[in-house]
Amino acid sequence: MNTKDELLKILSLKLRTILGKLTLDFDKLQEIRLRMNAPLLIIYGNKEAFITEDAKMEDNPTKAVLITKNEIRETMEYISNYSLYAFEEEIKQGFITINGGHRIGIAGKIIIEDDAIKGMKHISFINIRLAHQVKGCADPVLPYLFHKQMPGIYHTLIISPPRCGKTTLLRDIIRQLSDGTVYHTGMSVGVVDERSEIGACYMGTPQNELGIRTDILDCCPKAKGMMMLIRSMSPQIIAVDEIGSREDLDAIDYVIGCGCKLIATVHGSSIEDIRNKPILCDLVKKKLFERYIILNNVKGIGHLEEIYDTEGKRLYTDAK
Amino acid sequence: MNIMKIVGCVLVLVSSTGMGFYFSNEMRCRIEDLKELKKLIGLLRGDIRYSSTPLPEAINSIHRRHSGCFQSFFNYVSEKLNELSGHTFLEIWKTAVETELGSTSLTKKDKLHLMSFGENLGYLDKDMQMNTIDLYINQLEEVIVDLTKTVKEKSYMYNTLGIMAGIFITIIMV
Repeated sequence: MNTKDELLKILSLKLRTILGKLTLDFDKLQEIRLRMNAPLLIIYGNKEAFITEDAKMEDNPTKAVLITKNEIRETMEYISNYSLYAFEEEIKQGFITINGGHRIGIAGKIIIEDDAIKGMKHISFINIRLAHQVKGCADPVLPYLFHKQMPGIYHTLIISPPRCGKTTLLRDIIRQLSDGTVYHTGMSVGVVDERSEIGACYMGTPQNELGIRTDILDCCPKAKGMMMLIRSMSPQIIAVDEIGSREDLDAIDYVIGCGCKLIATVHGSSIEDIRNKPILCDLVKKKLFERYIILNNVKGIGHLEEIYDTEGKRLYTDAK
Repeated sequence: MNIMKIVGCVLVLVSSTGMGFYFSNEMRCRIEDLKELKKLIGLLRGDIRYSSTPLPEAINSIHRRHSGCFQSFFNYVSEKLNELSGHTFLEIWKTAVETELGSTSLTKKDKLHLMSFGENLGYLDKDMQMNTIDLYINQLEEVIVDLTKTVKEKSYMYNTLGIMAGIFITIIMV
């Protein structure tokens, strides 16, 4: 099934008809935003566009088709496969992953019980974010990851602000390390995919290509997942996205102590930035990571800014 | 002329006796069908409870594991759900109850219960699903117990009534 079919299937009948008529290059389509009583909006080629009733892209929101409560309800029914209960945990986190690896962000009224989020009702805002794989985006990074003296890779931390392509880079690194590259034969990789973002598993099947030697623990808390993978799947490399809690750091210590190599990502803009964060500063102080990859979107999403080694020595730069 | 009368009487006797046996057999089949349905709903409960499986997948797995008279019912629901054709779950469920249970011995009342069971499926959280399913399983259990208690007397009554009605009509005709 192609991207167009995957997406249209989860929309209400009316929206399905309108977007079906629209001539779109789905590779350029980034987001579809549905907000109750607000115009239908898409992000297409980094630009906003409103969609009219007769399936045309417009800049003027007053001409756009309005999203009703019914459209949202119907769309949610399809997104959740008629089974909202099956996505309880995802709804608590505010997103659902669907077939094709696309992520549906949802917002509405939060139900709190004992100071914890129990669920969400009156869902009124839906953000459909399309999954895009960028195969080969790790090519410039890979030569810096392989150990000079012994076989294997360095413990690597990818640092990047949100929406700058860190998960996309991590995904491609995993794929290439797992399949094998000109620098090294394939290695077994264990991925703890807490938010289903890396592999975008749908009913257990990864929708993104993560390589032939990759095992994925889907929707599993990172700290627990890392331990589980080491015990059960004996990976040579463990990959996780968006580390940040104390438990994550303890698990990282354990992983590194076990002789596994680790690739992780973290929100931030530089090593200094990480050094100033309360929990994450330990990562830099303890010199747990041997390579730091800094990304930003100065020259477009996923721009590789700098690569540092464990001592803070710059190995690569594309900064101005 | 007498031969015609005798043949007519025999036919009336045979058909009314047959009807008696048919109703008594239907009742036994209904109990079997309700037991089967209870077992299948139990499977659905297990799937939802253990792994929060979404309804299309859970119903499809029941359809694959089951080869009895409910197969076409679950097959229809599973296919329609997977099509995401613009119909709500309740609409699909109701249509399936109305059209796909012809080979079962369920009564109109059983079908109505099954329809209203579908009204709350898929809605809200897992606890709600468990409660809805448990309620329906209990309801089925009560009907099965009631029917089983009276099946012997009732089937004897149906059989006897069939024969007696045949004799009665024959006497009137003669």
